[in-house]
Amino acid sequence: MTDYISAYSDHGNLFIPRLFQGFPEIKEALMSDKIQAGFMVAPMAIALRAQGVPVRIVYLGHRYGSAVVVGKDSAIRSPADLRGRTIAIPSRFSNERLVVYKVLRDLAIPPDEVRLVEMAPPDVAGALASSAIDAFSMGEPFPSQAEIGGFGRVLFHAKDVWPDYTSCVLVVRQDVIDRRPETVQILVDGIARSGIWLDDGRENREHAAEFVGRFYYRQDPKLLRWALTNPLDRVKYTPLTPYKDEFDLIVDLMLETETLDRHIEFSEYVDAQFAEGAKHQTAWKYKPGSGRAE
Amino acid sequence: MSANRRILTGVAVWVVLVTALHFAWNVNWSVITNDLVPLDKRKLNVAYIPVT
Repeated sequence: MTDYISAYSDHGNLFIPRLFQGFPEIKEALMSDKIQAGFMVAPMAIALRAQGVPVRIVYLGHRYGSAVVVGKDSAIRSPADLRGRTIAIPSRFSNERLVVYKVLRDLAIPPDEVRLVEMAPPDVAGALASSAIDAFSMGEPFPSQAEIGGFGRVLFHAKDVWPDYTSCVLVVRQDVIDRRPETVQILVDGIARSGIWLDDGRENREHAAEFVGRFYYRQDPKLLRWALTNPLDRVKYTPLTPYKDEFDLIVDLMLETETLDRHIEFSEYVDAQFAEGAKHQTAWKYKPGSGRAE
Repeated sequence: MSANRRILTGVAVWVVLVTALHFAWNVNWSVITNDLVPLDKRKLNVAYIPVT
């Protein structure tokens, strides 16, 4: 996305995309100014801000796109069957953890009746295939990987139990927001345009899966193709504005799970000016394969 | 050329080759050169992980 903005916007090359393999590493890099912006799970961003780290959420990365997956032949047939099981999550500060908690809470199952283990996202498919875990709650394309590999079955998608579910958010250091707001706006505008373009139809999604899988995620493109098209709303990229009521729910769940030790106001951890500025953006004018965009 | 000299030359060529390949493949030069630019002109490093 950042390369796309650099290549096709009028502003030149303003960003360097940096691949990480886990959210804790992104958190550390952000705190030490090795990176100035990054995508991370929303609860981690909120917790960082609550701990006084000068960062703000400026936009969402996507909507939906997380699922709880069990072994293909597992006896787990409903969320109630998760009782007593081991479930992998990307971080205790993640919406993937909160969605498991929320489902169990709604079923009146005490949270200590499941065992949650933190695991780097790329490791969960192998752990499930080898029966080291009973289930995982993770973002795409790892649920797709388990389905395509024939060893996993989606128990439920996060969106089935949590309408307007969000997971990854774009976080920016406060000093960058203060010093270079126009650059942050260009980044957010580019993400908004990419999101609208992706939600424009199957052809765009299949094209994106091909080049993102091959050149950025270093994964088999068929994984992303599956994740982005089965069905088309498995992951959504509009609207990406962070809304207060949605984040209030996340904060409430964090307080209940004791991943946050005090209430924090929406305006304290979200800077809405950039989402507001991107509200009237339109999709990139790019036809797959044309090699040109406006 | 003596055997010792041939071995030393071979080792030197191997070390130079591996070092050059390491610098070409494993060092992110755009990040290093970016750090040398004045703060307000630097590109922003934007982190992502291979998850949607």
